[in-house]
Amino acid sequence: MKKALNAIGNYFKNIGIAFAKGDIWVKLSAIVMGAGYFARKQIINGIIMLLVEVLFVVMCIGYAAPNLAKFGTLGTVQFEQVFDPLTMTSTVNDYDNSFLILLNSIISLFLILVFILFWIANMKAVYRLQQKKENGEHINNFREDVRSMFNEKFHITLLTLPAIGVILMNILPILVLVAVAFTNYDQQHMPPNALFTWVGWNNFKNLFTNSVTVTFGYSFKKVLVWTLEWAVLATFTTYIGGILLAKFINDKKTKLPKMWRTLFIVAIAVPQFVTLLLVRNFFADNGIVNTFCSSIGLTDFLKSVGLVSSNLTYIPFLTNPGWAKVMIVLINIWVGVPYQMLVATGVLMNIPEDQIESARIDGANPFQIFVKITMPYMLFVTGPSLITDFVKNINNFNVIYLLTQDVYVTSDQLLANSNAKEIDLLVTWLFRLTNEYYNYKMASVIGIIVFIICAAFTLITFTRTIKGDKEEEFQ
Amino acid sequence: MKKKVNLVLRHVFLLLLVVIWLVPILWLFVTSFSGYKGINTSHFFPDTWTLDNYAQLFFRSDSIVQYNRWFMNTLVIAIFTCIISTILVLMVSYTMSKLRFPGRKQLMSFSIILNMFPGVLSMIAVYFTLKTFGLTNSHIGMIIVYSAGAGLGYLICKGFMDTISVSLSEAARLEGASEAKIFWRIIIPLSKPIIVYTVINAFLLPWGDFVFAKLMLNSGVATDWTVAIGLFNMLGKSMINKYFSVFCAGGVIISIPISILFVIMQKFYVEGITGGSVKG
Repeated sequence: MKKALNAIGNYFKNIGIAFAKGDIWVKLSAIVMGAGYFARKQIINGIIMLLVEVLFVVMCIGYAAPNLAKFGTLGTVQFEQVFDPLTMTSTVNDYDNSFLILLNSIISLFLILVFILFWIANMKAVYRLQQKKENGEHINNFREDVRSMFNEKFHITLLTLPAIGVILMNILPILVLVAVAFTNYDQQHMPPNALFTWVGWNNFKNLFTNSVTVTFGYSFKKVLVWTLEWAVLATFTTYIGGILLAKFINDKKTKLPKMWRTLFIVAIAVPQFVTLLLVRNFFADNGIVNTFCSSIGLTDFLKSVGLVSSNLTYIPFLTNPGWAKVMIVLINIWVGVPYQMLVATGVLMNIPEDQIESARIDGANPFQIFVKITMPYMLFVTGPSLITDFVKNINNFNVIYLLTQDVYVTSDQLLANSNAKEIDLLVTWLFRLTNEYYNYKMASVIGIIVFIICAAFTLITFTRTIKGDKEEEFQ
Repeated sequence: MKKKVNLVLRHVFLLLLVVIWLVPILWLFVTSFSGYKGINTSHFFPDTWTLDNYAQLFFRSDSIVQYNRWFMNTLVIAIFTCIISTILVLMVSYTMSKLRFPGRKQLMSFSIILNMFPGVLSMIAVYFTLKTFGLTNSHIGMIIVYSAGAGLGYLICKGFMDTISVSLSEAARLEGASEAKIFWRIIIPLSKPIIVYTVINAFLLPWGDFVFAKLMLNSGVATDWTVAIGLFNMLGKSMINKYFSVFCAGGVIISIPISILFVIMQKFYVEGITGGSVKG
């Protein structure tokens, strides 16, 4: 922490020094970027800097200023269309599109921030040039500068393109998402026909309130609990299942281990959306499994036990909350165990054989060996990926959505009021809110909450993967 | 004697598990040859056998079934995604693995946290951004969605490059090779296995993705869709009784190339995961 503060302190101190000790050209660079380069005869660099500055000013006047001016209100001019019966054309007024204003403002702010950082870097570079000149050091010409982009500055060349992609696809959307959470962007406020505006923390309050009209508080609690239950269950069942299966197949007593492994892999090699949609119809209310169960009398047996309510003629595998939750976890075992088996196979092959051997000589039985040697070793090696799996399961959209969409209908009116279902995870709820109900404001709030949960779990992994990273060891 | 019984029991148990795992796949396969278009709810095997479902897929396109178009759409998207993603991933993993520069660790930490932010959450914003540029319902839009952020998924590839001995690049450097040359001539040829993994992984993404395709390709025009969306659409409430067997046929066709690639990849998948974590 102190180190980071020091680094930031130094960063600003260096600009101060550049200003205080720089000559007239360095100081001029603060206003006319590139001046410092011209003075040291780096003409092309100077022209590039000047061009960047001109582009930035044009961007500010033409793009940033008009959008940022409306950023406070997100637009005031309502969309109006006037139909002219004489010419048979309709004219549209010069309306404000709230979403575009929001998006453009965020991009503008981002560009301004980038420019400021660029400007600071420029000041420092110009001052370095002055120092070099004073000390009589060699000053690169343009060709040498270009060459350095493939040598000591190669990391900049390589990272530019990926960074632009990540900024566009990951960082900007996250910023927009955060901003939308503080607006009233929903079906009643859909640009271009309507405006939306800032509402402060209202959406966050809604997520925790329970009233006759707003049932988000009730739904949120239910969905959150099930999301966490699901993530724990899904992660551990597939993890343990995968290890057991791998141990079983790799055991010396098992003949043809490769063949068995391949058979399990075939099951997961088929794309998930195909198998999941198929399984959903396999277990449908009037599906083939139900036909089978009623013909062998299982349906009647379950009725007499009370697991299936007596007015049904089928087992509600995916239509009753309790049954559906159990089935989803079981089907997820079906989907996930072969993956974990693959990973576990790789790890088990590296397990130090001598430890197991000596334990066996000391008289440990197979169960003891498994609990005392195999499991700790597995946990040590796959621990970090276990937490990654947990976070992935919190966001396991495919399994839940493909198994229950169009099939599961909630009977809980309070949940239905906020468009949630018993079997929803936070992400599927969010997806439905956006894709079917256009309730972007609440979806954004849920998105932020999910991010906070995931980030908390990630920080645990991340300290291990980064700090414990012995990457130099193998080089 | 007891040993023999044990041995038989062990294999019977495995066989039982395999049956459980393969029953849905078998059902997919046999239903794709069913003469009845809807779901056969009374028998596991179809009552009549036919190849008509496959014929319908390939030769009788209508407003619902456009399988050839879907396949081409997905293939085009997959090829471009695969090329762009692989290049981005290689660029980032080489930088993080072999180059040393100020701020490297911080950048890595930041990217790991960012990568944890699930794409599903920010997709509303992605959707509207692309819509502003008119890129929804287009191949270019889908390619951007799948490949632009690929640079973040560099960890497994970096883990592999970490194991390439540094003495090779040292030697090249002494002979006056530039960093760019070392990247092209030494690291890339030595990273072949992990490049295969990255390529297949990126190629498979558009075939299996459902969420983004559903959101981005919302025009309702069947010719725009990818295979995943097209097949999902066949199982809608009003459609399922006319198209279920056709869906199964489509599922079988798409599964064949995907399974082959997947089986090739799983070898690298295991090496990547375990190789990466053993070091951690």
